[in-house]
Amino acid sequence: MKIRYLPHTADVRMLLEAESLQKLFVAGTKGMSNLLKEGICDHTFIFHRKTTIKTSASDFTNLLIDFLSDVLSHTYANNTIYCKINILSFKKYGIVAEIFGNEINEFDEEIKAVTYHEANVVKNAESNLWETCIIFDI
Amino acid sequence: MKKLRKTDIIKIEDFLWEIPKSFREDMLVPARVLCFETLLDDILEDRSLNQLVNVATLPGIQKASFVMPDVHEGYGFPIGGVAATKLPDGVISPGGIGYDINCGVRLLTSTLKIEQIQDKLEELSKEMYAQIPSGMGKGGDIHLSAEEMNQVLTTGAEWAVANGYGVEEDLAYIENNGKLVEADPDMISEMAKKRGTSQLGTIGSGNHFVEVDYIEEIYDEEVAKAYNLEIGQVVILIHTGSRGLGHQVATDYIRLMMNAMPKYNIKVPDRELTCVPLNSVEGEQYFKAMCAAANYAWCNREVISAEVRTAWKNIFQENAGELKLLYDVAHNIAKIETHTVNGTRENLVVHRKGATRAFGPDFEELPPKYKHAGQPVIIPGSMGTCSYILAGTKKSRELAFGSCCHGAGRRLSRTAAKKQVNAPVLKEKLKERGIYIEAGSFKGIAEEAPIAYKDVNLVVDTVHASGIAKKVAKLKPVVVIKG
Repeated sequence: MKIRYLPHTADVRMLLEAESLQKLFVAGTKGMSNLLKEGICDHTFIFHRKTTIKTSASDFTNLLIDFLSDVLSHTYANNTIYCKINILSFKKYGIVAEIFGNEINEFDEEIKAVTYHEANVVKNAESNLWETCIIFDI
Repeated sequence: MKKLRKTDIIKIEDFLWEIPKSFREDMLVPARVLCFETLLDDILEDRSLNQLVNVATLPGIQKASFVMPDVHEGYGFPIGGVAATKLPDGVISPGGIGYDINCGVRLLTSTLKIEQIQDKLEELSKEMYAQIPSGMGKGGDIHLSAEEMNQVLTTGAEWAVANGYGVEEDLAYIENNGKLVEADPDMISEMAKKRGTSQLGTIGSGNHFVEVDYIEEIYDEEVAKAYNLEIGQVVILIHTGSRGLGHQVATDYIRLMMNAMPKYNIKVPDRELTCVPLNSVEGEQYFKAMCAAANYAWCNREVISAEVRTAWKNIFQENAGELKLLYDVAHNIAKIETHTVNGTRENLVVHRKGATRAFGPDFEELPPKYKHAGQPVIIPGSMGTCSYILAGTKKSRELAFGSCCHGAGRRLSRTAAKKQVNAPVLKEKLKERGIYIEAGSFKGIAEEAPIAYKDVNLVVDTVHASGIAKKVAKLKPVVVIKG
């Protein structure tokens, strides 16, 4: 699982790579949360908050963006940063997952939205890894 | 995607360039760029003009897709973009408004001159920072009940006035009087309402700010008189939008439209351009929700004005005088307007994403004292440089659906800005120049450093030369409050 942040004129561009589609969702959540509070998911292992998210979409790209948007909504609605995912069900264009995190007082970054722009979930034939780019509107 | 080169662009006038409809077969209209040639070279550095070409493919688009001289790459629409689609079945696209619905600017004028406040600037900056909640995801002191939330979404800035957070006289000086009557709170999700519960009166982070400036130069004495502006006069700029509530509304409806588009046989070259006909069920729902979020934003800026007024009184006591609203105008919004297209009056949905409405004299909505001057257009520059007050013109309607630029426009990524700028040093340097900055973090200062932005003077000079708005006054900052 690899998460990289690249420059964008006004926003943040994140590149994700993972061994499986499910792990791409895990990487996306971790990458987004680490932006919201720098490195928080690299250090926190005990979580006090849990929410269940159920999302469906028309393809895997939309599913990932919509899932991360739902995580972001819960982040702000509950002042909680979510680092851990437990995927309960994952099928073609649908996911049910428990997300775990902790309440925080202040964010390092304010993400307005997870955008569909440039997002494209594909399996790279060379690396055999699932990958996508995600642009956050900040 | 076909790469866009300068040779693909035709010069129409010194400040107007066109990518012809023939550039790409799916374009329905040409794409037009308002800028001097020196700015065009900069603009071609990113993909904003490719995005402008994509906008020219939207069903029902009229005349041309436009970008203003402060354009930069966005997602779907470029920032600084304007597109008008024809009613009743032309599309509405949430991406053409942006996630921060009714992000906008207002300007308060004071009765004090810069020399009267010079020795209290540091104290003022700290008091304003204390009064105005700012920063990442920060909440304010107001916690709306469900009923109050619906009132805010329905009545906009009127709610602030009715509840002791605003001034009745302000309402006449807000675009649409601070209330879009088409708003329907029932079209807003519970999640969006939850996110907005405690964010009224907060500026947020990023490029949002509250700034104290003084008028350094006046270019048009007649209009300045109508606007009650004088050299040396202290004014306050407020730049923010609909906060988490607006972000959630955009997210909700982009998703909804993404699923609805096949029903209307609409295909777009970028998912962020997702759209549906305005007269569809989804189009009407989004429009009503967007209007409600816009009302929240106007209420937010009115509440922030109350916080500014409190800070001002706390510092200047009996000498404070009144802070009056010059104008409040949105730069991320869609409005139903009537414009002339090919000699015919047409009802259009005008999308402005990072573009400001700039209507000229005799526009019926303007308060009587601005009727001959035209609508005030407020253009914030970057932190530590300068900002402008302009006046809308009749020509803006002829050229670009009554629109002009909204700011300086970014040129460096936030990452690049952070690499190049030492924020504590910048803060001290600006202080030496008499500019006091209070911010939630040094990171925020670095990201918004002047070097990260285009030259606002060049942007405003283009706008002035093109005739879509005329320069009235130049502002110099002395206090900046950032998230």
